[in-house]
Amino acid sequence: MSYKVLVVDDEAPVRELFGELLKKQKCDVTCVAGGDEALLVFSDKDFDVVLLDIKLVGISGLEVLKKLRDKKEDAVVVMMTGFGYDDELIAKSKEYGCSGYIGKNMPISQIMSSFKMFVSAAKEKGKK
Amino acid sequence: MKFFTKEAENLCNKLIDNANAFMFYLDNKGIISMCNKKAENLTGLARKDILGRNWADVLYGINSTDIKKQIFISVMEDSVTYQRNNNFESLFCDSKGREKFISWNITPIASDNALDGTLLIGNDFTQLKAKEASHKKIDDTLKNIFASIREYALFVTNLQGKIIYYGMGSEAMFGRLKKEIIFQDAAALFTEDRKSDLSFIIEQVNQYNRYEAELELLKKDGSKFPVTLTVSRFLDAEGKVKGYIFIAKDITERKKLEYQIFQAEKLAAIGQLAAGMAHEINNPIFVISGRAEMLLESDGLNQKARSDIEIINAQADRIRKLVDSLLKFSRHNSKQLQESNINDVIDGVLPLIAYHKLPSHEVKIEKNLALDLKPVKADLNQLQEVFLNLFINAFQAMPNGGKLSITTKNIAGKFVQIQVSDTGVGIDDKHLKDIFMPFFSTKKEGTGLGLPICYNIVKDYGGDMFVETQLNKGTTFTIRLPFA
Repeated sequence: MSYKVLVVDDEAPVRELFGELLKKQKCDVTCVAGGDEALLVFSDKDFDVVLLDIKLVGISGLEVLKKLRDKKEDAVVVMMTGFGYDDELIAKSKEYGCSGYIGKNMPISQIMSSFKMFVSAAKEKGKK
Repeated sequence: MKFFTKEAENLCNKLIDNANAFMFYLDNKGIISMCNKKAENLTGLARKDILGRNWADVLYGINSTDIKKQIFISVMEDSVTYQRNNNFESLFCDSKGREKFISWNITPIASDNALDGTLLIGNDFTQLKAKEASHKKIDDTLKNIFASIREYALFVTNLQGKIIYYGMGSEAMFGRLKKEIIFQDAAALFTEDRKSDLSFIIEQVNQYNRYEAELELLKKDGSKFPVTLTVSRFLDAEGKVKGYIFIAKDITERKKLEYQIFQAEKLAAIGQLAAGMAHEINNPIFVISGRAEMLLESDGLNQKARSDIEIINAQADRIRKLVDSLLKFSRHNSKQLQESNINDVIDGVLPLIAYHKLPSHEVKIEKNLALDLKPVKADLNQLQEVFLNLFINAFQAMPNGGKLSITTKNIAGKFVQIQVSDTGVGIDDKHLKDIFMPFFSTKKEGTGLGLPICYNIVKDYGGDMFVETQLNKGTTFTIRLPFA
């Protein structure tokens, strides 16, 4: 996969797990705990994809998504949540331009394959 | 024959004329020899046309065949023959055709055992009679009102607690006839617990003049029903306590409604809690599963460690599924409303039963689906969830085989009714009130979320869901959903 990935989640064990899982997939991973930090780092480094938790302490995931897209119109952002599949949150995320959505209630293998699928689809779209 | 002086006679005539009664004096042949002014008014005749005539002819007319005239004559004959006082009450038409109730008193007057004549005095009690009639009318109206009341029962006991009045809806409420309970101990209507104890209630009334409480009373068949009972003292005209007045209002329906509201509120609270909890659980479970899977992918794990980690992973997976159910229960997902025919939903769901591990004994499926069934407006996935849950439950309730009956029909011009019946083990009475509560399950591997999810979905669409069951005979779930 070898993408540059920014993982944003306020729970350390979650972002560390994602970090390790993605590193195993040969990704270059940066993990941050909150929205403000994410927005700062995002400007410094040219990330291929941001994996962003919807529920964050402080500035919300949806707000971060909006600001990331403001900064970079074609930013690829995949949202994630512990709420499972939630129509309302998905609709909102889509409206703000997210590339995909994964629930932390899915099995890990499924999470990773969904993530890959969303990113490659977004990249394909970007090329066109 | 002169007994009086002229003055005395004048006075006597004056008194007689002014007496507030109809007065006739008859000789021993029944001929009127004297009468007063009131008598003239009554008959509408002048005194000269009254005197010298037979009394009955004057009062009733010569040709009258009125039966009352005959009776009056025979009463008069009795007085004359046996020289005794008699009374006679009669409806009498006066000279202007007005009906009057007159009470007549017949007094024979004799000297040396020989009848001189008879004094006939009549009193008009028409007004009194009218009052009585109007009282009776009021009484009858009250009686009818009381008899029409069904929600309340009114009964009165004496000081010893014996029922001395048993009316106003009492028969309907207690299922006991008046003749079965009157003069019996009112304790027969009360249950045995302290709160409903009759002597306790009476003690309270004696102390505080009044008693009011919600409690249960007994019907004739021994069943209990909830009432609000108000008891007060029954006082006589002097204010002396003669007994106790009991007014009971049947609150069965209100209690049912209160229970439903309580249940709905409880479910809503649990739903909210579930949604919040689900989020908090998903994150750590995600980490546990993720770490477990990463470990399983690493080399150099011995067999024991591998199998332990697989157990950790499987158990984490179980929690994840439970959390998924919780989220469904709390209805966090938005719905895709569409018009659906329940018959199609049922037909679509039935084949899915095969995918669930169910008892292998034969279950016969019988469908009675109304062809003219109206559509309902709902989310198809949710409807499927409801029926799949019910069908699986039915199968699980019949471990030795049986029959699953599914009936659909339109009812009351506004609901689609679906009944899912099995011939299985039934549900114990003591569990019945809990079956729609989350986490209540009698099954070893049940999450206790199946029926609560169904119930919530049905309620959410303005429908209703209830259950009837008989141990070892079977269970019927009835669902009503409003027409689209």
